[in-house]
Amino acid sequence: MPYFPQWEVADLRYERQLLIPQIGQEGQEKLEKAKVTVIGAGGLGSPVLTYLVSAGVGKIQIVDCDVVSESNLNRQFLHHTGDVGRPKVLSAQEKLVSLNPDVALSTVNKRLNQENIEECIIGSDVVVDCVDNIETRVMVASACIQLNIPLVEGGVLGFYGYVIDIGRDYPCLSCLGYDKAKQKTPVPVLGVTAGVIGCMQANECIKLLLGIGEPLYGRMLNYDGLSGTWEEVKVEKAKNCAVHKNAETGKNGEFYWNGGK
Amino acid sequence: MIEVRLFATFREKRDKVYFLEQKDFKNAGEIIDYFRIPREEVAILLINGVYSPIDTSVKDGDILALFPPVGGG
Repeated sequence: MPYFPQWEVADLRYERQLLIPQIGQEGQEKLEKAKVTVIGAGGLGSPVLTYLVSAGVGKIQIVDCDVVSESNLNRQFLHHTGDVGRPKVLSAQEKLVSLNPDVALSTVNKRLNQENIEECIIGSDVVVDCVDNIETRVMVASACIQLNIPLVEGGVLGFYGYVIDIGRDYPCLSCLGYDKAKQKTPVPVLGVTAGVIGCMQANECIKLLLGIGEPLYGRMLNYDGLSGTWEEVKVEKAKNCAVHKNAETGKNGEFYWNGGK
Repeated sequence: MIEVRLFATFREKRDKVYFLEQKDFKNAGEIIDYFRIPREEVAILLINGVYSPIDTSVKDGDILALFPPVGGG
């Protein structure tokens, strides 16, 4: 078996991104010290996880309670034909470890709910939401705002999609009235649309981890694959947003969660 | 004029942007009806980037943005 010293592989692995002025050695070290939770290992999760792993984000937690089904295979490229029936977190983890064994990958094969979401995401530097329903999105956004963890949000439908960053000082989905929406299922999705939006989400995550560029806080970036256009809509916090109201700061400026009361 | 920006599937058989006369519409709901979009299909209604209930009145210079649920993943 040939011997490849780990340090030599590591130098070559990230060579191309070390050359990017906004990254460099310092940025790479920041990525390696970072922890990201990715919720959903499906259509959006596949590109998000792949690009965060390949960039060398140090710790990545993959959250998904689902098993691979055949109808996933048009877009969820971390899962292959032979994975049908397997838990998505295990199928994803296996491919990602092979892609980059430097990354510490952990899996949470559970459905998220109000009781477990906080303990799941606490300690994350960024959360990336790759779920396929509005209810979970609202719950994730609520927990992230309450714990003051930046959230990268995205969604797709057919040839269309959007990406936006969410934070305590910026609008969330409830600010936009999105929490009341009802989505018809199954949701039509072309693989490449999920690929485009997931890539944008991974890009936002890396920007937030490195503190570079202009994050999409308060900026909903909308993709139209049919016309080949991107349009930004600037959005504002809602004065009466229940989610933001539930996030309070303690007397000494420390954060505490009032349990949604 | 009121600018109306349609997104995602609301663009099917319609344009992306319309300019309407403010005097023809009392509120956002009437604009949604004008486009023959069922009101329950509107997931996000923004007026000048702010969430607005469907009966919000519209004034000259307002920019509306309408989205269906784009919740797939």
